[in-house]
Amino acid sequence: MKKHPMLKYLKEEGPLGPRMPLIFCPGCGSGQVLNYTLYAVDRVIEEDGISKERFLFISGIGCSGRITSHYLNFDSAWTIHGRALAVATGALLANPQFRVIVFTGDGDTGSIGGNHFIHACRRNIDVTILCLNNGLYGMTGGQHAPTTPIGAITTTTPYSNREGAFDLCKLAETAGASYVARWTTAHPRQVIKSIVKGLRKKGTAFIEILSQCPVHEKIPATTLLKQFRKNTVPFSKAGELTDGKTLIGEFCDVERREWNEAYQEIIDQFLIHDGGIDE
Amino acid sequence: MAKTPRDRKGVVSSPDLGLLKPGKYYLQGNQACIEGALMAGCRVYAGYPITPAVETMEYASQRFPQAGCRFIQMEDEIASACALIGSSWGGAKAMTATSGPGFSLMQEAISIGVMSETPMVIVDIQRAGPGQGYITASQQDIMQARWGHHGDGPIIALAPSSVQEMFDFTIEAFNLSEQWRTPVLVMAEETVGHMREPVLVPHTDAIETIERKKPQDLGISPRDYLPWGHDTVAPMANWGEGYNVNFVALVHLEDGNITKYSPQANYHCVERLQRKIEGNVREIARIETKFLEDCKHLIICYGAVSRTGMEAVIEAREVSGLEVGYIRLVTPWPFPEEQLREIVGEVNTIFVPEMNLGMMRHPITEALRDRCRKVVSIPSLGTLHSPEYILSKVREEVS
Repeated sequence: MKKHPMLKYLKEEGPLGPRMPLIFCPGCGSGQVLNYTLYAVDRVIEEDGISKERFLFISGIGCSGRITSHYLNFDSAWTIHGRALAVATGALLANPQFRVIVFTGDGDTGSIGGNHFIHACRRNIDVTILCLNNGLYGMTGGQHAPTTPIGAITTTTPYSNREGAFDLCKLAETAGASYVARWTTAHPRQVIKSIVKGLRKKGTAFIEILSQCPVHEKIPATTLLKQFRKNTVPFSKAGELTDGKTLIGEFCDVERREWNEAYQEIIDQFLIHDGGIDE
Repeated sequence: MAKTPRDRKGVVSSPDLGLLKPGKYYLQGNQACIEGALMAGCRVYAGYPITPAVETMEYASQRFPQAGCRFIQMEDEIASACALIGSSWGGAKAMTATSGPGFSLMQEAISIGVMSETPMVIVDIQRAGPGQGYITASQQDIMQARWGHHGDGPIIALAPSSVQEMFDFTIEAFNLSEQWRTPVLVMAEETVGHMREPVLVPHTDAIETIERKKPQDLGISPRDYLPWGHDTVAPMANWGEGYNVNFVALVHLEDGNITKYSPQANYHCVERLQRKIEGNVREIARIETKFLEDCKHLIICYGAVSRTGMEAVIEAREVSGLEVGYIRLVTPWPFPEEQLREIVGEVNTIFVPEMNLGMMRHPITEALRDRCRKVVSIPSLGTLHSPEYILSKVREEVS
């Protein structure tokens, strides 16, 4: 049987036994996003000649967190709920050469990690953030998230959700990210293209990917994917009115100073030939 | 010519730059801590301002780039401690400093650091609590240092008493953290953080620095590498070195596999962490003693109180003719129970002066309750006890 081409980036075996299968529920969008990401990484490795060792995958907790679990054949970290960007910032302080990909969820980014999220964008640290937005907390059993639509019934909004939802892309753009885009799991080519762009961008790239949770939404994955195509509208076609549909496409793509590059200027002031301090 | 960041092959420039030259310096405790960190090879400082620890980060913001290292003011203490985890696995020794409320916020990351066996150094310049308490000195975080983070998991904590020790112990903290692959705490008080004293800085050659064991050096290939196995202290491959480490803080097998959960696997994983530190107390923990040979009473102290405690002991012996012995817990954690039982014979009363309402008297009582008539706590809140005050409490009890 022919193997999936991206299996080369996964660990089928570890020193103490098999690492497969992936833990995702049937029909989950996380596996799709992992697949798209590996295609994008493969392209950057092949086309830009960046070695595999320079890639670093970091995640928080939740279903999205499990993407960087023990089957990833890269350096990776499955860290703390909401804190992936703080850990990523630390990694880049130690080694600015890392190409860091952060997998995160909507609760991870918008709620518990909200502070880290806006400040990572403000500093414009060199990470590519892939936010899997399924509109709820999947791992803990379907509670409402800061992205859950008004009126939705979840396990913690049994009488319907009365809170407004965050637009994470607008938040990222306002906070200062260099590149912001939104797609869905039903837009594979666009997602891959955006991730490649994000990895090549010096600064924060935030890519929101609407992702299905057939288990908690109790709707078949195929139906949800069709809904993603039907209920979204690209910027180019939306004009002023979105008709109640979710906007997809690139929110911004700008050049702005990245944190480590800017800080390096301070360090460079103190460097001289003979290795002493320039007093 | 300085190269542009993109040309730079390694990471940041050599930490040999900008280190203090050998000599005598007049420094504040918080500053000495930063100089010690740079000497130890620390390359990243990530912190959030809080009184009375703020001078550490102000001074770090000035000194770290001079030494080719990176400083960042994070959005909060949670982020600061989490950044240390990223930096450490990214290959840099990293530190932060904080005080009471900030220390509480860091407990989550400390627990993750213990479980993932991440070398990192956290300095707590303790202020009075609970709540906002006050910005004055205390030792009220000494139990939080040991038990504040969630779950079973040992900790190493050093308690400096002078500005010189802020320098020396910070170096030692980095060494212990690299050697044992675990978070190490420097539990100073506001007293020591804001104290100004001369510091003797030796030549860098005279300073021992320990680096983490690496699988490359031990001839372990990426295929066979067990990031949480091989030995009591597993070798640590940094990210970016081709070992494809899957960092994890869930219960894991030695290779990081998390799907084989069982109560046995849980026990094996967590008990090993405990054994790594608590099973090596003799090697890790240090105590200082004086006048134990003939003593009828005993003062046991740590941190800044060890200096006033020592004064009180000397006055008790010379002025009051009381045969009082002295023990200082240089490293309160891991608690050196066995060593204490070996050196303490039968005594009448054990006094424990502390800048809290009596925290360390609990493990001390647990260790020595059959060696004495009574363990007496001498508390002080918001300020260091004077030797006279300690002595008056001793006299009250024994006369």
